[in-house]
Amino acid sequence: MSAAGDHRGPASAIVIEFKNVGKTYKSLLGNSVKAVEEFSLVVGQGEILGIAGPNGAGKTTLIAMLLGYLRPTIGTVEIDGIPARNYVERNGIGYLSELVAIPPKWRAYTALVRYATLAGMPDAEIHRRVESVIELLGLAEHRDKKVKALSKGNLQRLGLAQALLREEKLLVLDEPTHGLDPVWTQRFRDIVDGLRRPDRTILIASHNLDELQRLADRVAIIDRGRLQRLVTTGYEHATPAITRYRLAIARGHDLVRAAFPQAEEAGRDEFDVTVQSLQELNATLANLIAQGVLVASVVPEHSVLEQQFREAVGESS
Amino acid sequence: MTRNLAKYSLWQFRDFVLERGIAIVLIGCLWSYVTFEPMRRAMGAQWRGDQTSPVWAIALQVSAALVSLSVLIAMNGIVSTNRKSGYYRFLFSKPISPVVYYAQLFVVYMAGVLVAMLILSGVLRTIFPALSVRNFLLYAAIIYVAMGGIGFFLSVATRYDWLTLAVVWLGSRILRDVFGAGTGWRSKAVELLPPVHKLDGLAGSLIGNGTANTTDVVWLLGYGLLFFVVGLAIIRYGSLAD
Repeated sequence: MSAAGDHRGPASAIVIEFKNVGKTYKSLLGNSVKAVEEFSLVVGQGEILGIAGPNGAGKTTLIAMLLGYLRPTIGTVEIDGIPARNYVERNGIGYLSELVAIPPKWRAYTALVRYATLAGMPDAEIHRRVESVIELLGLAEHRDKKVKALSKGNLQRLGLAQALLREEKLLVLDEPTHGLDPVWTQRFRDIVDGLRRPDRTILIASHNLDELQRLADRVAIIDRGRLQRLVTTGYEHATPAITRYRLAIARGHDLVRAAFPQAEEAGRDEFDVTVQSLQELNATLANLIAQGVLVASVVPEHSVLEQQFREAVGESS
Repeated sequence: MTRNLAKYSLWQFRDFVLERGIAIVLIGCLWSYVTFEPMRRAMGAQWRGDQTSPVWAIALQVSAALVSLSVLIAMNGIVSTNRKSGYYRFLFSKPISPVVYYAQLFVVYMAGVLVAMLILSGVLRTIFPALSVRNFLLYAAIIYVAMGGIGFFLSVATRYDWLTLAVVWLGSRILRDVFGAGTGWRSKAVELLPPVHKLDGLAGSLIGNGTANTTDVVWLLGYGLLFFVVGLAIIRYGSLAD
């Protein structure tokens, strides 16, 4: 687990670098609001970085600066060593915004053809590629519908489809599962997993910590415009953060009570147990299994990320 | 990057035709019909469509007003709609320059306005055979650059562009009428306002006779182009998001 001050990415080519970035919004009346403050972060090639934070934490402002839609008040944002906006204009990036905004009169298919044209795809490839993303995102039956006739979930899928038109080296997904049903949320996770490549960097901003825990290599936790923590999501980094687990068993209830005297019964066949380390958990479970206890599942009360998020953001979330 | 945009110009032209061009032509036809048809009926055998006709001056005024209205329609939301509605997000995540995108859009819309004016001038010629299509299109092109350049700038700088353009256009005319003839600082200040006072004279001379005061044309074009370039600079160095 990285400390808040450790902003270096993994030992790979730098793709994205926020250098001491700040963004202050000023109203005509002179009022000012600091959306982002002293934000520094390096994201490496091949990495999936999550950005988590409560509402108004500054996630969307950061992404707008990464795409060059907003200029930082101070600091710089660079991609591959050049100003972010210049990079986007030269190379393009795959981007799904939190609010999918496509002119309502456009039809789903022609919207994708337009974006593919702007993306510089050869004519011969445009229709093949558009068909491919329509298939991938299950939009075949909606292809001729106007954007205004699409449901929120289908619109979100259309937004993701335009982001996946080209083989981009950089993908930025802002609240990508917003509005998707559980089936498509899972499908989306599979799609993003499939996009992981050594030469591709993916940024995902999300409220959904479970999603980031599953997809991201690291997660930047932001609150009140500042980077609070950088969390590596793997469980090997978790100890001793995770101490409470829910243990479900099919046989051997008395043995569990004896092994975990502090265990709380959470329901029929379920116990909330507390341990000091993964080693202690594994040793105790191995012992119980050897005595004939039939374990059905062991689930941490909070994920690594959830635990870190709670500590970093506190009750303000 | 520029090739992507060049190909996309066909989509931009299609959008203009469907969202603005058809409306401009319909409004122009209706306006011409309700203005001139009653006159033609009332004048009966005395109706003439040449430059000596008593309605020729009205024809010039209507033609000039149609051009101004079409530019207003063309400029409505040319930049601000993308910003207000958030359409810029997907557009400008693609490998294109927003400056080139909007400059091209301005030119494509100019072509659209000229095509609409070509159709309308054809309609007007059935009533006024003396109307020169070439002169009418030349006038439309000059007004598009003059008025459209300011409209483009306002669309970059404000959310309510067509309303602001109408206020600037009308306000300039009123302020010039009120203060233009004086000798104080106000009369000098109003000289900096958009040169709307030159439009009537230009319409009469250019559409009517095919001649124009070069200084007036340069002043109009220069004013519009200056604002257009300032608008592009704001896109380049400002924020694309609201």
